[in-house]
Amino acid sequence: MRRSSVRSGLRSALDQLDVSLPIEAPALIGSSRGDIDGLISVDPGNPSRVVAVAGDSSSGDVDRAVEAAQAGFRMWGVTSARERAVVLGRAAAIMRQTRQQLTAMIVRECGKPWIDADAEVCEAIDFIEYYARQSVGLERTPELLQLPGERNEMRFVPRGVVAVIAPWNFPLAISAGMVVAGLATGNSVIYKPAEQTPGIGHELVSILRSAGVPDDVIGFVPGGDEPGKRLVEHPDIHTIAFTGSCAVGLEIIARSAALAAGQNHLKRVVAEMGGKNCLIVDSDADLDEVIPAAVHSAFGFAGQKCSAASRLLVHDAVFDHLAERLTGAVSSVLTGQAEDFGIDLGPVIDPDSAERHARYLDQASQDGEILATGGGLPAGDGYFCAPTVVSGLPDDSKLLADEVFAPLVTIERVADLESACALVEASPFALTAGLFTRNPEHARKVEARSPVGNLYINRGITGAMVGRQPFGGNRLSGTGTKAGGPGYLTAFVEPRVVCENTMRHGLVV
Amino acid sequence: MNTGLNLPAPPLTPAPSEDLVRTNGRRLIAALRSDPALSVARLNAMAVGRVASDPDLRAALFRLVDVTPMCRDLSDISTHLTALLGEIEEPTRSVRLIRGAALRPALSRTAGFFARAGVRGMASRFIAGADAESALDELSDLWKRGVASTMDLLGEATVTETEADTYLERCEHTMRVLAGKMAGWQAQPHLETDRHGFVPRTNLSVKISAMTPNARPDSPGRGVAGASDRLRHLLRVARDLQVHLHVDMESLDLRETVTELVFDLLAEPEFADGPSAGMVLQGYLQDSPEELEKWLGWQAAAGRSVPLSVRLVKGAYWDHEVVEAGQAGWPAPVFTDRATCDRNFELLTRRLLASTDLVRPAIASHNLRSIAHAMAAAETIAGGHDAVEFQVLRGLGDDIQDALSDLGFRVRTYSPIGDLVAGMAYLVRRLLENTSNDSFLMARAGTENLDSLLVAP
Repeated sequence: MRRSSVRSGLRSALDQLDVSLPIEAPALIGSSRGDIDGLISVDPGNPSRVVAVAGDSSSGDVDRAVEAAQAGFRMWGVTSARERAVVLGRAAAIMRQTRQQLTAMIVRECGKPWIDADAEVCEAIDFIEYYARQSVGLERTPELLQLPGERNEMRFVPRGVVAVIAPWNFPLAISAGMVVAGLATGNSVIYKPAEQTPGIGHELVSILRSAGVPDDVIGFVPGGDEPGKRLVEHPDIHTIAFTGSCAVGLEIIARSAALAAGQNHLKRVVAEMGGKNCLIVDSDADLDEVIPAAVHSAFGFAGQKCSAASRLLVHDAVFDHLAERLTGAVSSVLTGQAEDFGIDLGPVIDPDSAERHARYLDQASQDGEILATGGGLPAGDGYFCAPTVVSGLPDDSKLLADEVFAPLVTIERVADLESACALVEASPFALTAGLFTRNPEHARKVEARSPVGNLYINRGITGAMVGRQPFGGNRLSGTGTKAGGPGYLTAFVEPRVVCENTMRHGLVV
Repeated sequence: MNTGLNLPAPPLTPAPSEDLVRTNGRRLIAALRSDPALSVARLNAMAVGRVASDPDLRAALFRLVDVTPMCRDLSDISTHLTALLGEIEEPTRSVRLIRGAALRPALSRTAGFFARAGVRGMASRFIAGADAESALDELSDLWKRGVASTMDLLGEATVTETEADTYLERCEHTMRVLAGKMAGWQAQPHLETDRHGFVPRTNLSVKISAMTPNARPDSPGRGVAGASDRLRHLLRVARDLQVHLHVDMESLDLRETVTELVFDLLAEPEFADGPSAGMVLQGYLQDSPEELEKWLGWQAAAGRSVPLSVRLVKGAYWDHEVVEAGQAGWPAPVFTDRATCDRNFELLTRRLLASTDLVRPAIASHNLRSIAHAMAAAETIAGGHDAVEFQVLRGLGDDIQDALSDLGFRVRTYSPIGDLVAGMAYLVRRLLENTSNDSFLMARAGTENLDSLLVAP
C-alpha cells in the first residue's frame, strides 16, 4: 500500500462496493435461501449507510440447518482430505482474485482501516491454505508401536457437525479459520456470523460454495442471540468453535456440557475469549522502538483486537521519559474514517463500545489521571473514541482488570521486571504479552515465567501470522487451542484405533 | 516494479573503457599508498574482520554497542556484556575469559568501563562531535587538507511534534554556526566551483522522518503535510545563508513521502533560484533507474536556476528491506546479488554524468572500483573532473578522501554529529554494513592485490 497504484485500485473497489450496497445476507440452509428480515449492519464511521441487510434466523432455522448439515456430512465426511483440500484451495484462489473487493467490504462493515483490512484478507487466505494442507497430513496415520503379530493403526475421523459462532472484529479471517478447520477435516459446518458483520459472513459462504463446498455442508444462519443459543444446545452439534467475549464463552462452555435427551456424544468447545494484555518495558528498552509499537498495539483498529495492548508496565528507570514521549506521540495519533489512508485508527464498532469507552474514561478521571489523549475526532455520527492513555490508577481499579476493547490503555510504574511478571501472573487472562528489553537473560526469565499463549519480544503484540505465531490463550482467555498452528485441527476430529491380530494358527500372516 | 508511468527507456550511456577505469583505479590506489593513515584504516578493517568472521560474536557486540548508552552505570553495562556473551553457543576461549572476568563482582565495573570506552572509541571514529561547535576544529582541518563536509544530525526517533521542533532548531543552529565560521576559511577552488558556478561550503543533510511524527508509508500526503512547514523554513534559511540542504533517503516506505515533499517545495516560486538542494538515490533498489528518470524529468520541467544535487549511494537499509519484504510476503525491492548491485551503481553513475546540465552528481562510495569507474566516466561522458563530487563516510573513507582530493576531485565527508545515545542507530548500521561478507572494505582488508578489486562487477 506504499504504492499509489495500489491505493487507487482499492479506492475504486470501494467506490464500486458503495454503488452496490446494501449487501444481501439471507440465511443459506441447504439449497434454500431465507428471507431478508430487517437485521441490518451499518458503517460504524457513518451509521446512516446500511452495509448489509440480513436474515434473522430462528431456532427453527437452526434445526433445519442441522438436518441439512447431517445429510451433507454423510457425503462430505467420507471424501478424502485431498479432495476437500482441492475445493478449499479453490476458495483461497477466489479470495486472492477478489482481494480488493473483500478488503473494501471489511472497511465498510466493521470500520477497519485499509492496512488492517487487507492484512485480514491475507490472513483468511493463509488460514484456508494452511488448514487444507494440515488436513491432508492428518490423514496419514501416526506412528504407533508395532509388535509382531499385531497391526495397530490410528486414524482421525470428522466428528459430524460443527457450529461456528464468529466475532465481528475479524469477520473474515477468524470466521474463515474456524469454518475451514471444520470443513477441511470432513465435518459439516453451520456458521453464525456476528450480528454486526453478516455481509462479510455471507460473502465467505458464497465463496466456499462457489469453490465447490456442497450447499448442505456449509450452512449460514445470520441473526441475533437466538440461533447462537440453539446451536449450542442442539443435541446434534458435535463441536462448537467460538471466538468472542469471556462472558459468552463461559456460558457456551457451561451450556454445551449439558447432555440433551438422545444425545450420545460429548460436545467439544474450541473457544478464544479475549484478554487483558500487558506490555512490559525494561530499563534498557529502546524507546524509539517501544513508542510506535505501544501506540500501534494499543490503538490499532481502535483497540478492538483480543491481542491489543491494554496495560503498559514500565520500569521505573524509564517511566518518566517514556511517559513524556508517549504523551507527545499520542497527541499526534490521527483518528479518522476507515477509508482514509494514513489514519492511525478508525471508529469503534457500535454505540455500546463508544459508551463503554466513555464510562471507563469517566472512571479514569476520577480514580487516576488522563495522561494523554489523541487528536480531534471526525465530525458526524460515526462511533469515534479518542485514543487515551491513563495513569495513576489504584491497584484495584477495574480499568486494570477489565477488557475494554476500545482505544484506552493504562500505564503503570514497576520497580523491576519481577514486579511486572507478578502483575501478569495475577491476571485471570493469559492471551498475549510483550517485553521490550535488550538483556537476553531478562528475556529468557520472562519467557520462562510468562503464562500467556503468545509472548512477543521487542515488537508489538498484535498481528499473529498463520503458521508463524499460532494464536490462542490460556487460563480464561481460551481453551488453549492455537489457531493457525499444527494442533488446531485435532479439536475437530475424533481418533479411532484399530488393532488386528495378524496371527493364524500360530503363524504371522 | 510497476511504477504506473509510461517513461521512455533511459538512453544508453556508453561506459568508459575498462582500461581507462583501471588507469584511474591505479592512480587512486597509488594516492592511497602514499598516505600513512592507510595502515591505521587497514588495521581497523582487519580487527573488524575478526569480528565479522564469527556471526555470534558479531551479533553480541552489535547488541552491546546498541544498548550501552541506555545503561545506567558501569555495572549495568557489564551485566549486558555478560548476558550477551552468554548467548553465544560455542564461545571461543577469549570470549569465555572475558565473560568469566566480567562476572566476578570485583571486576564487573572495570569490565563495564572498558566496554563503554570501547563503544565510545568506536563512536568517536564515526561521530564528529556532540554538536556543530565541537566539530568545527576537525571540519576546519579537513577543509585545509582539501576536503569538504556535509553534516548529519543524529537524534532520537521523532515521535512527537516537540521532538520535530527540536530537530528543526538544531538544524537551523547548525547551518548558522557553520555558515558563520566557514565564511572565514581560505579559498579552495576545487571544492567551491564547478561548471554550474559556486558550490556552497556549508552543507547540511536532513531526514524527513525527523521532521514530523506523521510520516506514514500508505499516506505520503500525511507526512508531507506534517513536514512541509519545517522543511520550508530550513530551505529559506539555507537560501538566505547560501548553504546547501540535502535530503537523505531512508527506508523504501518513506520514498514517496520524501520525493513528493522535496519536489513540491522546490517548485515553490521563492525557491526558484536557491538554495542549492538535493536528494539521495539508492542504487540497491531495483527500480532506481526508473526513479532517476523521474527525477531528471522533474528537474528539466521545474524551471529552477540551480541544478538538483543527486547523491548516489548503495543504500543503508538493506537488511530492513529484505526482512520487511520477507515477512510481508513481497519480493525484495533491493538487489540481493552484490555484482548486480554494483553494476547498477555504475549504470546510474553514467546516467547522472550524462545529465550534468540538470544535476550535480555526488558519488558516495568506498568501493575503489565504483570510484575509479566514476573518475573515468567524469572524463569520457561529462568532459571533466569538475562534473563529479565524491563523498565518503567519516571513519570509513578517511584515506580515500585525501587521495581523491590530491588528485584534484571535489570530495566531501559525511560527518554525523550528536550524542552517544542518539548515535547508536547510526553506529550499529555502519558496523553492520561494513562487516558483512559483502562489504568492499572487508574485501580490501583481506587482499594485498588491490588491482583485483578493480575488476568490473
